[in-house]
Amino acid sequence: MSAGGAFGGNRGLRPVPPEKGVFPLDHLHQCDLEKKDYLNCLKSSGHQSEKCRQFSKKYLECRMEKNLMARQDMSELGFRKETETNGETSEEKNSKRIEV
Amino acid sequence: MVGGSYAAVPLYRRFCQATGYGGTIQRRESVEEKIARHAKDGTVTEREIAVQFNADVADGMPWKFTPTQREVRVKPGESALAFYTAENRSSTPITGVSTYNVTPMKAAVYFNKIQCFCFEEQRLLPGEQIDMPVFFYIDPEFETDSRMDDINNIILSYTFFKFSED
Repeated sequence: MSAGGAFGGNRGLRPVPPEKGVFPLDHLHQCDLEKKDYLNCLKSSGHQSEKCRQFSKKYLECRMEKNLMARQDMSELGFRKETETNGETSEEKNSKRIEV
Repeated sequence: MVGGSYAAVPLYRRFCQATGYGGTIQRRESVEEKIARHAKDGTVTEREIAVQFNADVADGMPWKFTPTQREVRVKPGESALAFYTAENRSSTPITGVSTYNVTPMKAAVYFNKIQCFCFEEQRLLPGEQIDMPVFFYIDPEFETDSRMDDINNIILSYTFFKFSED
């Protein structure tokens, strides 16, 4: 196997393009507020991503709203639905009925 | 097999993930497919990894380029967001393009960028400052790989090169 190139030579793995492509730049700073909220949360939570998930979700939702990111369901990006009883979607209610 | 540099990466990953050197070649699972699979399996991860950030510009590139946060602490399987800030300090519009690197090298195979600002030209006007997000995900399989036992930090480094000046 011509392994020299495949195993990256002196820099290790060759860079791989991002899976969903490139984020357009937010030249108009439309999502600055959401970004600041997320970064402030990180600063006050010991930089733990888990503690600031709702802010990163809001940031990405902002991008989707302003056409700075392709729209898709947030659960596909790893944002699981919160387990709140008053925020259940009808889908969840139906699946519970089926399980019973 | 002979192939371009990008073609070599899927081969390397398949080899490292022990799908069998002589085995059938499968399409590499996308990050979204991984997320769905682990959600379905109820995968739980415990180890917290500190992802830290480096930013560089190539010689002659008149941008200020820095990580916006010092680190993001994340568990494998949690998608996470981080930012870099770039500012064009020159008096002409400049287009840059960036590439990245992940260290330690042995962890790089588990570091997935879902979306970021790299690999395409980005143009900043004179004096313009902009925040550049990176949305990433560390594969949960990182936790079950004993070679990763001694890794608690991953460093993501970006370098901006001048693509053109207009």
